[in-house]
Amino acid sequence: MVRFKNRWLLVEFIPCTKDEPSYSPSEGINSKHIWSALKDSIIANFGDSGWGAVASSLTVKYFSPMTNLSIIRVARDHHQIAWGAVTLLRTVQGKSYLPNVIHVSGTIKHTQLSAISHNRETVARIRAHSKLPALYRSTIDDYLEKSTKEIEALQD
Amino acid sequence: MYVDLNVTIPAPAIQPQKHGQSSKKSKGKQQQAESLAQPTATVAFNAAQLAKIESRIDLLVRLGYTVLALTQNAVSKVDTKTHTNTLDALLPNLRKREGVLFLKRLTIELDNESEKGFGLTQAATQLFSSYDIIALRPTTPSTLSLACLSHTTPSPLTAHIISIPLTSPQTLRLKHTLVRTAIKNGAVFEIDYSGALEDNDSERRNWWAGAREMTRVTKGKSLVLSSGTESCQLLRAPRDAGNLLTLAGLAQDQAHHAATSTPKSLILRAQTRKTYRAILSEPKLIMPETNFQSLIAKETQSEMSVAASSSQPPESPPPALPQVSENEDVNPHSTTVLPVPPPQSSSGAEKASSSTALNGGANGKKRSHDQLNLDELETPTSNPQNATSKNLHPPNGGGGEGSGSRKRKKKGKDKT
Repeated sequence: MVRFKNRWLLVEFIPCTKDEPSYSPSEGINSKHIWSALKDSIIANFGDSGWGAVASSLTVKYFSPMTNLSIIRVARDHHQIAWGAVTLLRTVQGKSYLPNVIHVSGTIKHTQLSAISHNRETVARIRAHSKLPALYRSTIDDYLEKSTKEIEALQD
Repeated sequence: MYVDLNVTIPAPAIQPQKHGQSSKKSKGKQQQAESLAQPTATVAFNAAQLAKIESRIDLLVRLGYTVLALTQNAVSKVDTKTHTNTLDALLPNLRKREGVLFLKRLTIELDNESEKGFGLTQAATQLFSSYDIIALRPTTPSTLSLACLSHTTPSPLTAHIISIPLTSPQTLRLKHTLVRTAIKNGAVFEIDYSGALEDNDSERRNWWAGAREMTRVTKGKSLVLSSGTESCQLLRAPRDAGNLLTLAGLAQDQAHHAATSTPKSLILRAQTRKTYRAILSEPKLIMPETNFQSLIAKETQSEMSVAASSSQPPESPPPALPQVSENEDVNPHSTTVLPVPPPQSSSGAEKASSSTALNGGANGKKRSHDQLNLDELETPTSNPQNATSKNLHPPNGGGGEGSGSRKRKKKGKDKT
């Protein structure tokens, strides 16, 4: 069977302002910017041949500026090139970021699950930090619901 | 459980100082601030430095590292009179983090001046015993051979990590014999992944060349992956850095070992600096059985269990003496008196086919150290073959222990 196999990377871009990492949401970055930054990184580090290996299957499926979470799809055969390019990324649109690949999987299903649980942990951390009482429902929880629906709506 | 063995800590200002000579912070290499007058200078990290270190450690924990070795750098040589362990001053000031283990490491960078000697002498053992790991960073071929050959042998001063700078223009020629000797002695080679993220183009390119060379010469084993930088922007998650190494020629599982199991066994091995000749074992004395009767009885009982079928009543293995008469006639019916546990007798036939009692020991080689101890000690009569060889010759028990631990030591060092 000649099935086209993919790898789905769940990447968190940690904004790194003035050499200090933070949890803040990023402004003015969307998935197109991520894609072009990734393309530049692949061409700079792995050359034209590296880009050729990955180009047709490289897609940024999801990016949330609020949590800096993105889901990137690459073909399985050369996913290490794309993964390496993600690691070697240092800036997106001039702002410096620290890419952190949280999960790599072969189907979108587990990436979705991992993304949702990551979001839940982030929201829990934010809530613990601001010491909200347990039943108080704030905008953060609304955002969590909305992003969960968005993530689950992703299609192959 | 990811281990980062090179979290460089810049040298703080050492007070009091005669002339305000503060420490310079360049990329990962520091000059030690020299305090001339007072040999026992107090080392204090100021609040800004502490905050930076804390945030870096926070980031590392967020990226997934649980074991961090804080590194103090020394250049050229360690001045035994003025050197102080800055990490000892730092550790109590760090916030308590659950689940994170901090270790102390000293990296000595060796250059041409260190060929004559750089302070790693017997006399200064006291100074180095406060560090958990000692690392050497040779920059010339002669210091490389010095580090690989003489400083990796087991002693209180062994340098367990050899970290070769990968971003320098002249990549050191790694001679295969040197590297092999160092690995056999238990040293480990370190790759700092921060070199791949540098701004300078030529440094990055040298890093790729150096990393590929390292993976080729070491064949992928005995490699340790670590950050080697003070800058937060150059830190990466362990699996990301491992993926960079797969692009430099490692296999995927080797890259994973470089971040987990190799540093773990290295840390354990580094603790042998406190032991004699790097032997890690807890020998337990096996008191020899002095009752000649019981020894003879066990011998005959083993013969009988080999010959007899497995129709023995279940009985527990005895520490007590069996009541057997002087005349040992090989009578199958009298075996009921002799407490032979039946599972052993059925397997006794099997074990009879295997020639030596060291079979148990050979199996023990695959078991962990503690299990080896327990199995040998608590069931001395379990294996009828063991009953003959081990109990009759109690020094064998001690020798078994020693050989067991030697096997363990060899196993750890060969990493097969």
